[in-house]
Amino acid sequence: MNTINRRKFIQALAAAPLASVLTVPTSALAAKKKAKQVVVVGGGFAGATAAKYVQMLDPSIKVTLIEPLKTYTSCPLSNEVVTHHRTIESLQIGYEGLTKRGVEVLHDTVTAIDPAKKSVKTQGGKTLGYDAVVVAPGVEFDFTGVEGYSQEVSEKIPHAYKGAEQTLLLRQQLEGLPDGGVFVIVVPKAPIRCPPGPYERAAQVAYYCLNHGKPKSKVLILDSNDSFAKKALFEQSWEKLYPGMIEWVAGSAGGTVERIDAESRTAATAFDEHKADVLNFIPRHTAGGIAKAAGLTNEAGWCDVVPLTMESAVHKGVYVVGDACKGGTPEFPMPKSAHMGMTQAKVAAGAIVASLNGLAPPVPYYANTCYSLAAPDYGFSVVQVYRVDDNQFVYVKEAGGVSPVDAPAIQRKLEAQYADGWFHNVMADAFT
Amino acid sequence: MRKILPHCLGAAALLVCATGAVADDPNLSGLAATCNNCHGVGGVSAGSSMASLAGQNRAYLEMVMLQWKSGERFSTTMGRLLGGYTEDQIKSLAAYYAEKPWTPAAQELDPKLVRQGGFVLDRCSGCHGKTGGETKTEDTPRLDGQWVRHIDLELAKYRDGTLALPNQKMADNAHKLKEKEVAAIAAFFASQSGEKAETKSK
Ligand SMILES: Cc1cc2nc3c(=O)[nH]c(=O)nc-3n(C[C@H](O)[C@H](O)[C@H](O)COP(=O)(O)OP(=O)(O)OC[C@H]3O[C@@H](n4cnc5c(N)ncnc54)[C@H](O)[C@@H]3O)c2cc1C
Ligand code: HEC
Ligand code: HEC
Repeated sequence: MNTINRRKFIQALAAAPLASVLTVPTSALAAKKKAKQVVVVGGGFAGATAAKYVQMLDPSIKVTLIEPLKTYTSCPLSNEVVTHHRTIESLQIGYEGLTKRGVEVLHDTVTAIDPAKKSVKTQGGKTLGYDAVVVAPGVEFDFTGVEGYSQEVSEKIPHAYKGAEQTLLLRQQLEGLPDGGVFVIVVPKAPIRCPPGPYERAAQVAYYCLNHGKPKSKVLILDSNDSFAKKALFEQSWEKLYPGMIEWVAGSAGGTVERIDAESRTAATAFDEHKADVLNFIPRHTAGGIAKAAGLTNEAGWCDVVPLTMESAVHKGVYVVGDACKGGTPEFPMPKSAHMGMTQAKVAAGAIVASLNGLAPPVPYYANTCYSLAAPDYGFSVVQVYRVDDNQFVYVKEAGGVSPVDAPAIQRKLEAQYADGWFHNVMADAFT
Repeated sequence: MRKILPHCLGAAALLVCATGAVADDPNLSGLAATCNNCHGVGGVSAGSSMASLAGQNRAYLEMVMLQWKSGERFSTTMGRLLGGYTEDQIKSLAAYYAEKPWTPAAQELDPKLVRQGGFVLDRCSGCHGKTGGETKTEDTPRLDGQWVRHIDLELAKYRDGTLALPNQKMADNAHKLKEKEVAAIAAFFASQSGEKAETKSK
């Protein structure tokens, strides 16, 4: 269903208090010019949403989404694939929904973005001009810094933090875990996508072990950080559901892994060597390679953006949304989540449509929710709402927070149900 | 809700207003877009545990959201979100969704349960109507064609007995249901195809 009528949206934008009435060109309303071009790089939750919303807000714009994969696999709820509670197919979706809406989907990889010439180049040899480009390549893994890990090793020691094959590989290894075996999860220094992901995985693995004849098994989390998202809630759930099965080692208590040996599945910290039966090594993240190649990243490897619009702080006409943006650190907590990336994408879409019609951007709204499932019927969440003040993202203190630790018993059940409803709605909102 | 734009000041803006523009506030549709993540595009939910909002009664939407903001009503999620928005924004959101057409969910239901639900209906129809769509008052939600899982969850909340849910009458009615009747009446209302929609969404 087309929710927002384009003419109304643009007329209303033109009249909104933010827009200087003097800058409203009559052509914005006449809209009889050569079609404007918007190119979106990357068709994950963030990129797909951006493409859809630009198309929906102003169908006169020609939107091209460039994404190499024909089938997208959601990471959200993939920990439940590892434990056989969901199938990988239930997390997959194609791009036909966007095509039906009028978005052109090109299955290719972008190799260069030229902000001066306003064009992108693809591996397949195409060059596309743009009036605005959205860069949404997600994350890339940094294989340096830990001895013994590499792209190649990840085919044996999975990260299961991107892509269907990795999730299935981890599932297969979990199936082979002997009763009494040790499942080690190595967590890199923040920021990572889905900050609660590794701890949810620990719970899910314990759930699997309890219910698949491996009750004596253990999950050991070797963490490079000293705390983690929803810690009190996770620890409560671990103790309640899986007493004695999950151990977490903080970075300052010797959790930082410096070296791994793939052959013997050993993870070594400055203090100990931990031999694993299944070793799940999550590498450090940076913004997807194309963001770096386009000169959009800062020293830390992430993209700085203008909060009002999600436009790159480096290049005009280039918008960055999703995991590739700065965020997910204690200093700047806007997390790398599908939910966050989608709200960023909607802000960018509104700003792009306004800008291409010669208007000032609408007020941006940023909100996030991440559900975590410690068991199929045991969920909890964190909510954040942000406002833009003085060109800064501001966390709204009157809102947000985590599910209460002392919540009524029914709440965990309800939140597990809502996680599933959320999932179906984000898939539909981004891809159909 | 249609709003006459209050910003029709200044020469250039006259051009916009002269075209007869009564428009949705773009800043409101931007806010509503954040709800799509959980309630579906335009408030038509694609996830069965989450309520569809589009076409729901305005007074009901407004009432529950204001109760969440003030903290007097139990929620898992909504209270933590709405703390970030003003009462005016909440009222506008309620009106925004209420104006949209009601879209019954496409869902598979057990015909036996639906039939059994018909026998429970008497205890509900006085307020919700014969299909769940002819509600007595504006602050009673319509249920015809709502997601069955959502209805089940709401009834579980009323029946839980420990949660802060201000409407005692509704809670009492839910409590009186036998376990088997819960699923039956939920399926019954879910199976109704929103007859009232045609007349109402005009
Ligand atoms: C185990 C796990 C659980 C999670 N659970 C949740 C959850 O419950 N809730 C939640 O909100 N988030 C969750 N997340 C996080 C979520 O997956 C990410 O935040 C989200 O996928 C980010 O979306 P994105 O579009 O920025 O990146 P991605 O989804 O990674 O998409 C990027 C896309 O860009 C494409 N691409 C990359 N480079 C190029 C190029 N050069 N040219 C063209 N295309 C390119 C890629 O092929 C990819 O399809 C979870 C993550 C993990 C790993
Ligand atoms: C992260 C998911 C999420 C987002 C985002 C969200 N909601 Fe909700 N909504 C819920 C859940 C869960 C419930 C059930 C009540 C609860 O436990 O919080 C709900 C219930 C509701 C209801 C009651 C519906 C009924 O029939 O009982 C309304 C109204 C509502 N939400 C409005 C909104 C609006 C407006 C927005 C956007 C500002 C929004 N919601 C954003 C998750 C969400
Ligand atoms: C006395 C009037 C009355 C009767 C009788 C009644 N209801 Fe309700 N119902 C309401 C009102 C009012 C609300 C909104 C209440 C609130 O604030 O919690 C409501 C809410 C609900 C909801 C929540 C809907 C949503 O989207 O969140 C469900 C489900 C429901 N009723 C089902 C039933 C069923 C089933 C029956 C019969 C067993 C029934 N009701 C009988 C008045 C009534």
